[in-house]
Amino acid sequence: MSTSSRNPMKDQVAFAGAASTGFSAHNTERTPLSLAAEACTTVLRECGLKASDIDGICGPSTVSAGDVQNTLGIPEITWWANPPIPFVNQVVMAASAVHAGICDTVLVYHVPYRHAFFTASALRDPFRRVLAPIAGGGNPDTMWGPVGYTAWASRYIHEYQVPKEHFGLVSISDRSYARDNPLAAMREPITMDDYLNARMIRWPLCLLDMDVPVDGSDAFIVTTTERARDLPFSPVLVNAAVLGMVDANVEDQNVSLEHHGHHVVAKALEAKSDFWIDDIDVYFPYDGFTIITLNWLENVGFCGRGEAGAFLESNWDAEQNRILINGKVPVNPHGGALSEGGTQGSGHLREAIHQLQGRAGVRQVPDARRTLLTAGGFFYNAQGLALHRE
Amino acid sequence: MSELISDTDLVSMFIHLGIDRDSAEHFRGRIEHRLLINRCSECGTYHQPPRPICPRCWSTSIVPTAVSGNGTIDLLIFLHQGPPAPGVDYTTPYPVASVGLDEQEGLRFTATIIGSPNDEIAIGERVTLDWIDRAGIPTPVFRLTGDAS
Ligand SMILES: [Zn+2]
Repeated sequence: MSTSSRNPMKDQVAFAGAASTGFSAHNTERTPLSLAAEACTTVLRECGLKASDIDGICGPSTVSAGDVQNTLGIPEITWWANPPIPFVNQVVMAASAVHAGICDTVLVYHVPYRHAFFTASALRDPFRRVLAPIAGGGNPDTMWGPVGYTAWASRYIHEYQVPKEHFGLVSISDRSYARDNPLAAMREPITMDDYLNARMIRWPLCLLDMDVPVDGSDAFIVTTTERARDLPFSPVLVNAAVLGMVDANVEDQNVSLEHHGHHVVAKALEAKSDFWIDDIDVYFPYDGFTIITLNWLENVGFCGRGEAGAFLESNWDAEQNRILINGKVPVNPHGGALSEGGTQGSGHLREAIHQLQGRAGVRQVPDARRTLLTAGGFFYNAQGLALHRE
Repeated sequence: MSELISDTDLVSMFIHLGIDRDSAEHFRGRIEHRLLINRCSECGTYHQPPRPICPRCWSTSIVPTAVSGNGTIDLLIFLHQGPPAPGVDYTTPYPVASVGLDEQEGLRFTATIIGSPNDEIAIGERVTLDWIDRAGIPTPVFRLTGDAS
């Protein structure tokens, strides 16, 4: 099947606002719903909206739209959904629902949470244990889920003969950017020595190759572009949005590093959007694992296969100790999943919106107009979003 | 096939590996130390994990077929920590490999590697299938053959 450029939703739907609680790498004494309520009421207040202005709700599978509606006293909604993360899924569904006329104004939220299965300290919290019980009977003989990224990181090193330092640059860059983001969980700069000496978790990936489990919430307003123009902030238009997956989408059966969900996303997003990598002012590649960022840089076309590390080196801002493409395009200026916190993409989206609305504070990219956000990994969750302002 | 084991006992033995009706014959094979991979009897294509039809030609004529267990390490990691499992000690990093089976290009099976020090285990090494007993559960593993790929 050829890649379709059909995109009737182009620029018809927009983000009116985005807000966050900020993120903590320690257990908070709060429920996911409490965090969601804070982010949701903040974004509604900032946009000057009342509960009764909302007629759609969309969030992750872990906090139901019904609970959010009930908590916020949103009187009536005509659409809701709780698809799986990463978070472009929520965007695609909400924007499609608005464009189709199933609802007009959607409250979209995410709640990254330190669930008991993530860390030993989360497991010690009895409230977290009852919230998400640990599945019994472990099986170490698998590449399932997060382990699959380690497997393909190892394959990447084998095929392209690159040093571990190439992965480290992703981690260091995120941390250097997080220094400027008060919402971030991890703001203390790290060196290459810190990276190379970090605790090995699953060789070849260490603790600093993996995103930080956090408590926090992001919330967004998605509505028609026409309606967004009447609200306080500049509308951020959804120029194109896609998800991407291939048939061999099981971790250990993935065909190769040259044929997976990223490639479907890159091709479809480029076909549907009005701009591409040479036209953007800031870039948001997913970084739940360092290997994903290296692969995204290659797969959207910034550099060739196996060259992402060399690309980072040649686009390195030595003074700030972070990547700056062509000396002007920041990459994950909020610190990404590796340093702001493991938000499954909601943090990347919130920062993208704030940058395009001119609300990014000391991190503001001068006159930022266009961005690409490429979320998710190789197997069953690659996603892409092209956003711009008028 | 091990027809002697009841569905109830089969499921309780492999519940931690996500057994369902589509993978039941594969797990019955483990009890007899046979590695059964689904093969289409019409187009001859193997697929993994077990699916109810052939992903290539949509035939429902799927035969769980014993493979030789010979292959090459395509993917390799070492767990420095991991889920609790009987007899698994992560103080020595635990190898997990996805082995490309000789029967078909790109057909992989994932298991641990035993019998060699970690520094001899690498992507590209040739392996062959073996079986261990893990708290009463027959578990497929691979061993290095020492042949170059
Ligand atoms: Zn077939």
